[in-house]
Amino acid sequence: MADTYLIEPDLDFIKEVGALGGEDLKKCYQCATCSVACAISPDTKPFPRKEMIAASWGLKDRLVGNSDIWLCHNCGDCSTRCPREAKPGDVLAAVREYAISAYARPKALARALRDPKKLPILVAIPVVLFLVIGTITGLLDFTPDLSEGIKHYKFFSTWLVDMHMVAAAIFMIAVFAMGLKRFLGDIHQNALQEGKTDKEKIEVVGFFVALLKVIPTILKHNKFSDCTENKEREIAHMLTIFGFIGLFIVTSIVFVFIWGSYLLPSGPIHGPWSMWNPIKWLANASGIALIGGTVWLIINRRSKKDQKSGYWDWYLIYLAFGLGVSGMGTELTRIAGWAFICYLLYFIHLVFVFCMIAYLPFSKLAHLVYRTVAMAYNEYAGRNF
Amino acid sequence: MTEEKTASASGSILVVGGGISGLTTTLEAAEVGYEVFLIEKNPYLGGRVAQLNQYFPKLCPPTCGLEINFRRIKDNPRIHVMTLAEVEKVEGTPGNYNVAIKVSPRYVNENCTCCGDCAEACQTEIESEFDFGMQKIKGAYLPFGMAFPARFVISSDIIGTEDAQRCKDACKYDAVDLDMAPKTLNFNVGSIVWATGWEPYDASKIDSLGFGQHPNIITNMMMERLAAPNGPTKGKIIRPSDDKEPESIAFVQCAGSRDENYLPYCSYICCMASLKQATYVRERYPEAKIYVFYIDLRTPGYRYERFYETIKEDENIFLIKGKVAEVSEDPSTKNITVVAENAVTGEKIHQTVEMVVLATGMQPTTTTAKLPADLKYNEDGFILNDFDTGGMFAAGCANKPADVVSSNQNATGMALKAIQTLVNR
Repeated sequence: MADTYLIEPDLDFIKEVGALGGEDLKKCYQCATCSVACAISPDTKPFPRKEMIAASWGLKDRLVGNSDIWLCHNCGDCSTRCPREAKPGDVLAAVREYAISAYARPKALARALRDPKKLPILVAIPVVLFLVIGTITGLLDFTPDLSEGIKHYKFFSTWLVDMHMVAAAIFMIAVFAMGLKRFLGDIHQNALQEGKTDKEKIEVVGFFVALLKVIPTILKHNKFSDCTENKEREIAHMLTIFGFIGLFIVTSIVFVFIWGSYLLPSGPIHGPWSMWNPIKWLANASGIALIGGTVWLIINRRSKKDQKSGYWDWYLIYLAFGLGVSGMGTELTRIAGWAFICYLLYFIHLVFVFCMIAYLPFSKLAHLVYRTVAMAYNEYAGRNF
Repeated sequence: MTEEKTASASGSILVVGGGISGLTTTLEAAEVGYEVFLIEKNPYLGGRVAQLNQYFPKLCPPTCGLEINFRRIKDNPRIHVMTLAEVEKVEGTPGNYNVAIKVSPRYVNENCTCCGDCAEACQTEIESEFDFGMQKIKGAYLPFGMAFPARFVISSDIIGTEDAQRCKDACKYDAVDLDMAPKTLNFNVGSIVWATGWEPYDASKIDSLGFGQHPNIITNMMMERLAAPNGPTKGKIIRPSDDKEPESIAFVQCAGSRDENYLPYCSYICCMASLKQATYVRERYPEAKIYVFYIDLRTPGYRYERFYETIKEDENIFLIKGKVAEVSEDPSTKNITVVAENAVTGEKIHQTVEMVVLATGMQPTTTTAKLPADLKYNEDGFILNDFDTGGMFAAGCANKPADVVSSNQNATGMALKAIQTLVNR
């Protein structure tokens, strides 16, 4: 601490962190209760005490590119124990929101994801794309043949679905790739500066080994189990994430199967699949898990008066909830034979899917990537976390 | 000191609370010539100060100053002291208050010579509140060695038992009077000074600091009793679990204070108290290591700052900026490990020590027992002084957390305020 340096506070950053839910930041008097209260904070350079002073002083560079803000799982133990009610948990959540936007390009899209007024435009993008491209190409049929029962592909062609979803996924991966390149460089720089690592460079192999090591930790929610204040959230989050994983597996299998079936001499085989197919079981179980998990998350957040929840949080939770409900609704109305409602729900479902994929690096869901990378980096850097 | 030089002034003052503030107000007003009723709920005068081993920063025993004050009271015919007395009712306006005082029986009259035969005869033992339960005393007891009034007390716990009769039978001076009953006294005063003082904050309320769960975690007031020559260990600082002389001690500052979850305010005295107590340990155990964990060390003023500078130079005293937020006990050694982040180095410290002292703060007595008078309180429970209305004033720690020096200054000021009320009526 003997070295001196000139502090250059970024006042706008302080204001923005305040506006994003960290408005009690300035109450902090640096007692460091939070760093000890946090069950998952490491012994060397623990968080969030140092993040609190960096945020107070507007030291943006020490926060946005700091892996520690991602090690936090926002359980709220620090905020509960804080003697000043400065809510470090909310401050870190605010900084993470800021950081996601900072690494996402284009900036305009990042801004739009944080502004409820822009929501209609964001939703309108897939709606217009589907309608315009679907109508031009004829891949969208508003009077589908119902003689064989409800077949979704007859309304909304599989080609139309995948040309959008694959494009959205490529866009998403490209945005993440660019963001992560800068992110990894920044967190390594920060770790060197704060003495959190003795590794000079990030070696690819070592980093991937570390990544593989943290995946079980993430899946098992080990870091969630350490929380005391917000324990009920663990299962809700687990249900949601496993719902997503299950649905991702199902979608991937169906994707491969449909496009693979084009090679068959008998021609492509479209859904819906039999209810007795194990893949269908997985799909239904995952769908139920997703709906159950998100409902639980919503109830949990609504009941927590001492933790900030803003549009940023609600956008993601309700999108995930909507995804589950529209998907499950599509299936149930198909079984019931309500063609109009079924096709409408399918359309809505695809809009939600597009929003989820295309806006992923700009939304709160980006934590999936940043937190995973930060945890892997931390493992690689050799801190006890 | 208080010869009858001054003519008796008209009107009288009620002082509630016989701690250092109440004593000061009483003496200052009485020595100007006013009649003062001093009431104290305990069976002795001196309050919290009587429990201390030494004052900071001079490290002198409080008994010395108390003795002088008691002498001044004894010599002053205008002071009427009532112990075991509490205010029951206050009615009236500034200059004219009718008060009802409830006096509980002591069961020992003025014949008492403090011979101690009653205690000898008594078989029941009760917890010593004066020593925070660190020792048992007899059901008939003298509150402490130089208690004023110097008279034994029969605890109400043994009244109606054979023990009470044994005490009475043992007394050669006919001093034990088991027929004493509670009585209510009514009188008229012109002004009232509330010097109701403070209580140590209940450390067991602080979930994370393990008080009441681990025997070797004590409070700063318990430390005073351990260090005091008239305390439960006769001044030996030994840890409760095994009476071992501790080789390492951690002081946990702001234990409950400056914390929105407990006491939101700074209790003012705890930093100096811990630094002072560090000297108790250093004096007895020159090799012992002392760790003081703090948020900020608050030692205001030239004298306190100089005291802090001296302590800082001590190579066996480590001052660590970082609040202790977690404690744990090793079940075999009963040692305590405290955890804090050193905010200067940014590293978490797990410090294992043989004993922990929680620097608990002060809470106004009036938070637990509201006074039967029309008084205003601030959000922390301290009495607000309303000088526009006047007539009733709060002195010392009833008004704000304070050390002895400021309490005395404040108490002197309130004596003047009380006198002004009488003169202007």
